[in-house]
Amino acid sequence: MTDIAASPSAQPARTKSSLLQLDARTKRRNAAEARFRLYGMIAVAISVLALVFLLSSILSNGLSAFWQTYIVLDVELTEEKLDKNGNRDPADLAKVSTFGYAPLIRDAMEAKIAEKGIVIEGLEDPEDLISNEAAAQMRRFVLANPAVIGETVTFEVLAAGRIDGFFKGRVTMQSAERDSNVSPEQLMLAEAMKEAGTLETRFNWSFITWPDASENRPEAAGLGVAIIGSFYMMIVVLALALPIGVAASIYLEEFAPKNKFTDLIEVNISNLAAVPSIVFGILGLSIFINFAGLPQSAPIVGGLVLTLMTLPTIIIATRASLKSVPPSIRDAALGVGASKMQAVFHHVLPLAAPGILTGTIIGLAQALGETAPLLLIGMVAFVREFPAAPPEGFFDPAAALPVQVYNWTQRADPAFVERASGAIIVLLVFLVIMNAVAILLRRRFERRW
Amino acid sequence: MDDARLVERDVVMTETKIAARNVQVYYGDTHAIKDVNVDIQDKTVTAFIGPSGCGKSTFLRCLNRMNDTIDVARVEGDILLDGEDIYDKQVDPVQLRAKVGMVFQKPNPFPKSIYDNVAYGPKIHGLAGSKADLDDIVEKALRRGAIWEEVKDRLSEPGTGLSGGQQQRLCIARAVATEPEVLLMDEPCSALDPIATAQVEELIDELKQNYSVVIVTHSMQQAARVSQKTAFFHLGHLVEYGETGQIFTNPNDSRTESYITGRIG
Repeated sequence: MTDIAASPSAQPARTKSSLLQLDARTKRRNAAEARFRLYGMIAVAISVLALVFLLSSILSNGLSAFWQTYIVLDVELTEEKLDKNGNRDPADLAKVSTFGYAPLIRDAMEAKIAEKGIVIEGLEDPEDLISNEAAAQMRRFVLANPAVIGETVTFEVLAAGRIDGFFKGRVTMQSAERDSNVSPEQLMLAEAMKEAGTLETRFNWSFITWPDASENRPEAAGLGVAIIGSFYMMIVVLALALPIGVAASIYLEEFAPKNKFTDLIEVNISNLAAVPSIVFGILGLSIFINFAGLPQSAPIVGGLVLTLMTLPTIIIATRASLKSVPPSIRDAALGVGASKMQAVFHHVLPLAAPGILTGTIIGLAQALGETAPLLLIGMVAFVREFPAAPPEGFFDPAAALPVQVYNWTQRADPAFVERASGAIIVLLVFLVIMNAVAILLRRRFERRW
Repeated sequence: MDDARLVERDVVMTETKIAARNVQVYYGDTHAIKDVNVDIQDKTVTAFIGPSGCGKSTFLRCLNRMNDTIDVARVEGDILLDGEDIYDKQVDPVQLRAKVGMVFQKPNPFPKSIYDNVAYGPKIHGLAGSKADLDDIVEKALRRGAIWEEVKDRLSEPGTGLSGGQQQRLCIARAVATEPEVLLMDEPCSALDPIATAQVEELIDELKQNYSVVIVTHSMQQAARVSQKTAFFHLGHLVEYGETGQIFTNPNDSRTESYITGRIG
């Protein structure tokens, strides 16, 4: 202070400057800021473009999975084919396999073509327009209602995958010439049937409700078992990861002494969050299946593995939100004579609840989309049986949504590409719903202090 | 400073409420409180003054064991409340804090309704047998906190929506709702404007009818206005303790004199 006051001449002489004119330093600063803004906008634009590209490719590939082509057939369920003895014995009826129904479908198809007056040169095997699933559908119907044998019943059956693809633009006349599964004549027949009103494309609920189907009938494949499997796993994860994670975080944050041992635990929890998920799959395989003897492909095992994966996420989020509660609230509670536990449960936890809920739902969303560990514990199996209602259902084999996507992308028939993209859309819809719930809960519980 | 007021004030000799004997406090390796002996009297306002970091807040927080929440803090010596050692192994700090209430520097109402803020302490200590009892306790506490008239029509509104001065009076009401015997105040007016400060000081003056009040303050004027006894802390030592009038007009220790005349601190 004093030397400045003593020697005013030491200060550089100030040149007169106008505020209306920018000096060089200000110009450089403004330019730097403008550059930084540009970088930021470019970064945002790149990520938005990537997202738009991803969504548009998934939607353009996958939305068609929600539409399906059906053919209406009047099938005569002849007694000589389905029940030779004529006594409607369920055991005898069950002996007739789906192959026994194939001639009925062929006859029905030929009758339909004749009825509509469709003539196509060189047409062979018109029954190939019908999905293999149709015979199974009729067999189930007959076994459930034996009384219909001998009558003519109108069925709405799935069109074969190639025919369905023709109406979605996947199969063309040109590609059909090189395709052993479908001929151009069959495509022409399909078109003629559509004009005659006996073939239509409409919304496909069975994509969501039906189980997976085998390699050669993509048209019948659905997500039902996968959705239930994923749902069961989320129940297991929520029921285990939320209480364990919150209890661990509260103890570590509020009660545990701060020493080397708790530091070690802390570091390890943070590291767990970064462990590759496949490692959890190996862990689940060796502990839950090989050691504990739980069944393979079961949602309970998947749920346990995903719980292990989700715990670090929940613990980190919960601890962060507990830390963000101002210490004055704890002081206030302790000051009026609340015990430590009362202070935490009456005052700190309610304030931390929005953060905990958000962390939990983010963890669940992560778990919902996780594939790798589930492959190792057998969730990749082909499961057509719906699991039972909980709690037994937790131990029944099931699939999972992301694994179903993985599974379908492995299959040869191009119709499964569409199915896989459709499954991704279903998965995304679930994720969006969960995130919306997280935001709603946050709004609902958020309090200011 | 209003010397006339100081001289006129009559100090009623009352019994000792809190007695501290050879109290040492360590924060890890730091020796924060060195050998403090003090007798705090009942139905009296005792002010702790001293420069920042001298240990007055630390000592105050020893009196209701709020230092327990700090892992590295260690207290030695005896602090007796009505002759009972509060650092005895058998003493539960929760029970102690019901007897020794505390008001903090920054108003810290719970993010709940005004009613719930005050009712919380009585609820957890089981002081109210019924809803009507609780209503009475809340009203009485809010009246004692001199805030009843302002909030009686909006008890269900959040306590955090009040102004700073109102929040602090709400915190005082919350502290007295549990019927403590001693009320500790850690710079209760430092976040308040002069008008709110005057209201709180008036309140402290009323509270001394029922409680032993210990107040930490940076404002010597405030200490002179509200307290009957003053303790001057410096670098962890209790330098001087005596009648407020005597400390401010005729201190025994040269350090006290330097501080109150503004030469140190």
